[in-house]
Amino acid sequence: MTFGPAVGNVGMYVAREMLVSVPEGQRQAYLRMVEEISDLKYQLGVEVARQLPRLLAEHDPGRVERYLHQVRAVAAAGWKSGVEVAKQLPDLYDAPDETLAEAYVAIITEATDSPPEDTETAQLAGELDALERELREMEPKVKRAQELRTQLAARDRRDEKRRKHAVELAAALPPILARLRPRYRPPYLVQVRLVAAADPEASLEAADTLLDLLNGERVTPEGAAEWVDRGLEVLARNKEVGRGYFRLGSKYSLQVLEELKEGLALKAVARVLKLYATALSGHEVAIRGTNEAADADAYGADHIVLPPEMRFFEDDAGNFTAYKVAAAHGAGRIEFGTYAFSLGDIPETVARLERRYPGGAA
Amino acid sequence: MAVESQRVEDYRLAKEPYYLPLHNEVELFEAAYRARLPVMLKGPTGCGKTRFVEHMSWRLQRTLVTVACHEDLTASDLVGKYTLRGDETVWQDGPLTTAVKAGGIAYLDEIVEARKDTTVVIHPLTDDRRILPLEKKGELVEAPDDFLLVISYNPGYQSVLKDLKHSTKQRFVAIEFDYPPPDLEEEILKSESGVDDDTAGKLVKIAEKVRNLRTHGLEEGVSTRLLVYAGQLIQGGVEPIAACESTICKPITDDLEMQRSIVEIIATQF
Repeated sequence: MTFGPAVGNVGMYVAREMLVSVPEGQRQAYLRMVEEISDLKYQLGVEVARQLPRLLAEHDPGRVERYLHQVRAVAAAGWKSGVEVAKQLPDLYDAPDETLAEAYVAIITEATDSPPEDTETAQLAGELDALERELREMEPKVKRAQELRTQLAARDRRDEKRRKHAVELAAALPPILARLRPRYRPPYLVQVRLVAAADPEASLEAADTLLDLLNGERVTPEGAAEWVDRGLEVLARNKEVGRGYFRLGSKYSLQVLEELKEGLALKAVARVLKLYATALSGHEVAIRGTNEAADADAYGADHIVLPPEMRFFEDDAGNFTAYKVAAAHGAGRIEFGTYAFSLGDIPETVARLERRYPGGAA
Repeated sequence: MAVESQRVEDYRLAKEPYYLPLHNEVELFEAAYRARLPVMLKGPTGCGKTRFVEHMSWRLQRTLVTVACHEDLTASDLVGKYTLRGDETVWQDGPLTTAVKAGGIAYLDEIVEARKDTTVVIHPLTDDRRILPLEKKGELVEAPDDFLLVISYNPGYQSVLKDLKHSTKQRFVAIEFDYPPPDLEEEILKSESGVDDDTAGKLVKIAEKVRNLRTHGLEEGVSTRLLVYAGQLIQGGVEPIAACESTICKPITDDLEMQRSIVEIIATQF
């Protein structure tokens, strides 16, 4: 069965059995009426679609029109009341007293209608609107205040940590200075001060590392300044990474140090050279740097005097070999009591070396 | 009651152990054996003390019972103890009792490592009584004329806590060992490892230099035994510097700088 173009969406409210129960000649009118009342509210359409077949079956157009009018009137006051009235009205039409339906509709309509506008309610609503508007305007300020509170608390914690690390630095510096060679103390203090101004915690790391670097002669004071300078750049970008740099705990820090290192420090290999020369000569040998041999007899029975840094080669291995050759030379003097030596005295060794290093200047 | 004793013939050497006499130690040992005097061998690790005893055992045609002493070794471990075998209690002779009964050589290696009660046990064996008391058994075992007690002792290891008492030391004829002179050590290396003259000479040269580091951080110098190991590795195809690092350098020290200096000494030869 099809309803034709006039039906529209009314099929959503009208079940097949409802339509069948409507006399055939009234079906188009039925569907139109349901559609019109549905425009007010979907639920009204559903209820009217249920009740109309019963009224249409009575073939009393006046009653149908009255029904729709009264349902519309109640629904205008409140659609939920309209739905209930649409459901109850057909039974009331069957009552012996025809005024019952009229009175019923009047009572429900009045009960549903809002009371006349009351000024106190309007005032309250207006005040509430104003407050809500103000609260909406305040919301960003409240949020900002919370942000500021968080930021200030973080700064407090940071300052507290800073003061704590400053105290630790105060305790650590004097013993470090006592261990530091006197000539390195002024440049050392300059560098530690720079780091301490930027971050006291990093300066604790820097204080220890610079002590080792300078005392161990792994860098010159100028090299130490360059190392600190590069570290401060790292520290400015990220505190934690910067602290790692000054602890020599980062690859970059070691890389910078490697760039700045000038040759191989005697300090770093003195014991190996001492053992080497002792083994070769059979005498207990002392290794001294030229910088510390002023008071010692450079040609004393058991001294080998070597430069504090070896820079003949670019790599440590080459510089160590240079040290080793010098130490072996010294060990020879200690063992045999003289530097007097000629390659002619060791023809077999010379021949062997010539075979091993063809083209060399043996 | 049953008595179990180890098979003495198991301790007889079938083949002559290689030994190159360094001084008069063979004659001294033979004289002590003939005079029934106990012998103490003193010397650093790996200088040939044990090999010398083995050689003398073969030379004198006597069984050799060797006991490697350690800090848990008790007098009972040496002389013997009762053990349970099923329902029966059996006396089990210890290695020292076995050697005494058999009349061979009993060799207590590194005697100071053993517990103090062991040195008390050997005292009656080392004087003119030449008896071994088995206290738990209530028995005295008399050593036959051809029994000889030999102990070894490394003076370099000893401390105040671990040293032989004079009452023990003064019961022995002492034969002192040290690393062999270079020419003899070369001979030993060639014989034991099969290396050629040149390699043997270099290994001995390295040892001579490394031994200069005794008292400078090394407790003991490189032993002849380690040189033999180096030679055997080289003969087995290992590159000489690597062979020397594994045998001469790393076993004798954990000090990294000491190791590096020894490697440099090795590099002067190879």
